[in-house]
Amino acid sequence: MLAFLQVTLAGLVTGSLYGLLALGIVLVYRTTGVLNFAYGTIAAICACFMYILLTGPQLNFWLALVITLLFALLLGMILERGFARPVLEAPVFTKAIATLALALVLQTIAQQIWPQLASPVHFPTPFEGHAAHIGGIFFSLADATVLIVTILLMVTLNFFLTRTKLGIAMRATADGLSAARLMGVPVGRIFLLVWSLSALIAALAGVLLASEQTIIDIQFMDPVLLLAFVGAVLGGLDSLPGALVGGLLIGLADNLLALVLAGRSIGALNVSDPAIREAVIFGGFILVLLLRPQGLLGRAVLRRV
Amino acid sequence: MDAQKTSGGQPPAETPPSDEPASVLRATWLGALWRYPRTARGWLVVPGALALFALLPAIYDQLFGFSSGFELHRVTLIGIFVLAAMAQNVLTGYAAQPSLGNAAFFGVGGYMLAWLTNDLNQPYWVGIAVAMLVSAVLGVIVGGPALRISGAYLAIATLGLVFLTGSLLNLWDTTAGRQSYDLNTLPMFLTDDHALYFTVLAIVSIVLFAMYHLLRSRVGRAWIAIRDSESAAAAFGVYVTRYKLLAFVVSAVLTGLSGALYATWASTATSSMSSPDQTIAFLTMIVIGGLGSIAGSVLGAVFVGFLPLLLGQLPSPLILGPVQIQISTLTTGVYGLLLLLALIFFPAGFSSLIERGRTMGRQLVQRGGQP
Repeated sequence: MLAFLQVTLAGLVTGSLYGLLALGIVLVYRTTGVLNFAYGTIAAICACFMYILLTGPQLNFWLALVITLLFALLLGMILERGFARPVLEAPVFTKAIATLALALVLQTIAQQIWPQLASPVHFPTPFEGHAAHIGGIFFSLADATVLIVTILLMVTLNFFLTRTKLGIAMRATADGLSAARLMGVPVGRIFLLVWSLSALIAALAGVLLASEQTIIDIQFMDPVLLLAFVGAVLGGLDSLPGALVGGLLIGLADNLLALVLAGRSIGALNVSDPAIREAVIFGGFILVLLLRPQGLLGRAVLRRV
Repeated sequence: MDAQKTSGGQPPAETPPSDEPASVLRATWLGALWRYPRTARGWLVVPGALALFALLPAIYDQLFGFSSGFELHRVTLIGIFVLAAMAQNVLTGYAAQPSLGNAAFFGVGGYMLAWLTNDLNQPYWVGIAVAMLVSAVLGVIVGGPALRISGAYLAIATLGLVFLTGSLLNLWDTTAGRQSYDLNTLPMFLTDDHALYFTVLAIVSIVLFAMYHLLRSRVGRAWIAIRDSESAAAAFGVYVTRYKLLAFVVSAVLTGLSGALYATWASTATSSMSSPDQTIAFLTMIVIGGLGSIAGSVLGAVFVGFLPLLLGQLPSPLILGPVQIQISTLTTGVYGLLLLLALIFFPAGFSSLIERGRTMGRQLVQRGGQP
């Protein structure tokens, strides 16, 4: 039972990270129609930038975090103006492939500027080494931070999107570009806002994952990104709560399956292999999509003739 | 292959009487061959390109001397990718199914060939045939459920399928206690770089010829109708489900063939053949080349296959006046940048350039040569 609770906690933590990434993916996809495969690279670059601030000028952790978040906002704006705007009218596939090319370019640039990050390095945080035992469950400070930040971010984002004028304008743009434009919504500025908001979430997720893993390099987000995409699609690509739910489900499934399958084998087949776990997750994902093609919380696609 | 079926046999009973009398001639194999390039330019371009590719080994012998075999081997890969790009284009460019699952068939094709020739001691061509057959069956299995899912959901779901297939193939390798599936019993002539090149060239030519006709037949027109408007196509009596499923099968068969040839080329099959990277490479080829275009499939495969080779040929460090660039660490980034620029400036792919050039030429002729 204790093992189960412990694993559920771990699942919630990794799930929150997938959920945060899925949130950023959905945000950009809903408003600009870009399936952003460069999202992992953006998150990794922000985490690497913070690593440089922490080790180079030896900044205080919180100061470095604030600068990193500002850097993320700027990066998001640059990407929107320099990358997303020129391909705005392109077909959806062209945009998706363009983000892959963007990821290659960003990764190469980062590798040129920070050659020390090509190999894994230690990411120093004040959370490291602090943990509490609550009724036999091991609860680290980094885990607590991930959960608290995720909850705070969801509450803030929800308030922003439903209660502020800017947030409502953003949702209007996502629902209908031309209608929003006709209503006087400054669509271009909304795009700018969406990209920098999504980069901000990427930076948060990147830094949180870095403080969880304590070891990073320039590609440390790549294996996480595919699962974040699966989480986003599982929840429904047009639903922000769906993204979080999808991410949480993927994280929980990953950790619980690891517990259930550990040390077992069917015949000669060793099912505790991570490949089997991934296979089960993807199998379940495809099954869910067959039952609900629009994702768990997504709206059914309306087809106009 | 399928073109023979559709253009060779008698037209199905439900075909409405054609208003073109010449269609009887066109419907036969010989007629198709005779009328293949419809224009004088066509008579020049197709044999011209074939002659160029046939002479390429000789040119390479002149250019690279004794390493020409090695260089030719790398070019052969592009031919194999042309098949995979064509397959992806049938599915995505013609039948409008944004499926990213093709790398699954790519890996399965390679592993089937390895299994049949190595462990079951079957002849090579039987291995190829079975690889295509198994891919076809898998195409039906994947295509059926895929009809329920659409758009970006289908893309990510099929990407998951590729991941799943890669994991299972990797599991097959680890339970059999090997790193990758080596093909030890390839026919002698396929281990020669020149012979492999000509074999792949022949297969690619046949497949492109067949696809050219398939896409201009009833089947191809049905796919295009579905792509342009599913409801309109259904209203005009196109069996939407049947033709979508057929697109999955044709695409799977071609990708399986491509995967088997790839395994031959590398003389090993690895589970990385079914990786998201591989499937995204196929998609990149058709997006950069042009969706819904045979020329686009070829151009895209050449861009994705040849550009890294070219960048690898650049001297390192590259000296531009006073600037020295360590190009070898930048190749991925430069490739990404060129891809990005190509997508920004030609969002409809390189094949749109051909169409644009043709329109400009026609306008020039209409204006009597006046600019």
